[in-house]
Amino acid sequence: MHSWLRRLPIETYVIVFTVALWIVLSLATPNFLTENNISNIMRQTSIAAIIAIGVMCTIVIAGIDLSVGSVAAFCGVAFAQLCGYGLDLLPAAALTLVAGLGVGMINAVAIGRLGIPAFIVTLAGLQVYRGLALLLAGGMTVGGLPPEVKDFARGTTGLPNLFWAMIAVGIAVHYVLRFTRTGRYMYAMGSNAEAARRQGINTFRITAIAYLMSSGLAALAGLLLVSRLSIASPSMANAYELQAIAAAVVGGASLFGGRGSVLGTVCGAVLFTTMANAAVLLGIDPFWEMVLVGLLIALVVYLDNMQKRRQAGV
Amino acid sequence: MQRKAILAASLAVSALMSQNAAHAEDTVAVIVKATTSEYWQWVFKGAEDAGKKLGVKVEKLGTPKDDAAGQIGVLETAIASKPAAVVISPTIFEALGDPIAAVTDAGIPVIVIDSGAKTDKYASFLTTNNEAGGRAAAEALAACLKERTGKVAGKVGYLTAMAGHESLDSRDRGFLEGMKAYPDVTVVGNRVANNEEAQGMSLTADMLTKDPDLVGLFADNAQMGTGAGASISEQKLGDKFCLVAFDSDAGELEHLKGGSIYALVIQDPYMMGYAGVWYGYAAAHGVRLPKNVDTGVGTVTKATMDDPNLVGLLDVTKRQLSPFVGN
Repeated sequence: MHSWLRRLPIETYVIVFTVALWIVLSLATPNFLTENNISNIMRQTSIAAIIAIGVMCTIVIAGIDLSVGSVAAFCGVAFAQLCGYGLDLLPAAALTLVAGLGVGMINAVAIGRLGIPAFIVTLAGLQVYRGLALLLAGGMTVGGLPPEVKDFARGTTGLPNLFWAMIAVGIAVHYVLRFTRTGRYMYAMGSNAEAARRQGINTFRITAIAYLMSSGLAALAGLLLVSRLSIASPSMANAYELQAIAAAVVGGASLFGGRGSVLGTVCGAVLFTTMANAAVLLGIDPFWEMVLVGLLIALVVYLDNMQKRRQAGV
Repeated sequence: MQRKAILAASLAVSALMSQNAAHAEDTVAVIVKATTSEYWQWVFKGAEDAGKKLGVKVEKLGTPKDDAAGQIGVLETAIASKPAAVVISPTIFEALGDPIAAVTDAGIPVIVIDSGAKTDKYASFLTTNNEAGGRAAAEALAACLKERTGKVAGKVGYLTAMAGHESLDSRDRGFLEGMKAYPDVTVVGNRVANNEEAQGMSLTADMLTKDPDLVGLFADNAQMGTGAGASISEQKLGDKFCLVAFDSDAGELEHLKGGSIYALVIQDPYMMGYAGVWYGYAAAHGVRLPKNVDTGVGTVTKATMDDPNLVGLLDVTKRQLSPFVGN
């Protein structure tokens, strides 16, 4: 029965929802389908989507990364402070990304070598890196950045630069996941870690790659956030990890591992941005907005699970 | 005027202090709402400066984020080491009432700063009148509209940093009340963010999309001010739009200089910490204190940001205390 349903890609529901919402909004308000608003949505989505793509990589291997919001804030503040010490932008950005990768390596060692559950390791990281961000910033907002910093996020090259950054990240990660042996191993490990190990897959290497991607992209997002805000604040990127997990899951990733895609995750992030945009444009009460967003996450994941069961033939 | 009153009381204590050199080991515990916010760092700075002057040890305590249960724990732990006085900013009005009363009953004077608690068992309460602050923001917004559009009219909105916070609610209430004085101004929208700059930025952009003829916005704390300022500057609306925000952090100050923020309504957290410790010390030595003290708000625009009376409010490192106390 409904054999065509089984063949639908896992991103289907989130795409259908998002497009439906766009159509409703275009009809309901004259302000939605304007160049300015579309470009706003692109900018607003990009940073959240970059973080979510990283988190999705850890979800694929049946892990999780709760530290990304804190890592983004830590790296953003570190970048601003390095600039404050007179370092040029590019070396400062490079050092910041290296720091992000360092965080990923620490996570990978704690999870892959010491055997501490990913949830615990990254929950600890959520505290540690937020604390380090606050220490680095002295609890204060860091300003006085060179004007070129904000030029990137404000700028457009046909489309907003931030959006291009997301596209570049998306294509790179999609390539790794779908067209490399490493990517195949990640899904294999997420489906059954023990079986993967018996087949001779170096699971530590795969773990390391997933967490390096997650922390590295969080660091990149931190840089972009600083560019967007033109300051670095230790309180920025608060609770982004939850938003990222929600985007990945709504986009078809399974918290049990083995499933998840870049396209779905980006669509999830676009859906959340669209919903936030819609709430303002339609004048929905902010408290109801929270309720509706929560219900929608539940609904999309429910439909997605139904389809998974159909695919499994249950 | 209020500030002078505080300093006068402080002066009274300094006489006491010299007689009580033996009490040099006195400790004053300062418990804030969220150690991770710039505002509370300024409270700590004021408290530390007061501690240095008084020769008392100031313990800087608090939870990283707003957390009433955590704060009660911090308070109870602090009391165990028998400080001379406690300076505290209650996270939740109802929740901290009984714990504060218990400290007073145990014979340790409590100075409440910034936000109230549901009890009258405290020595003194030093706070910003947030409603007055909100009204000051409305005044500044009206002045900006007059200056930039020639008339006080049009659509305005406001951004609330977090839902259900007494001090933020009071600011918003004061703002709405203040705006009622201008019948040609309509308040069209309110959005609530997660106290995060980027979200404030997105909401500002979205509010402008919904109402492209929006002429003004009130952002009710530093995170919202920084976010809204970034959005206004991104859309290059600086000299046409009227953005007024509460507090002053590095981001807001940049936007004030750059023109994206017209005015900042600033509180005096430094004085809350500074006077809080002096008051606590005074109360511990038997001085009867005024029950309620308003630490005042100031309005700063780009034109007045170098005013010597305001510069210390914007940057604590340039803080000049009254000659009564000296530096």
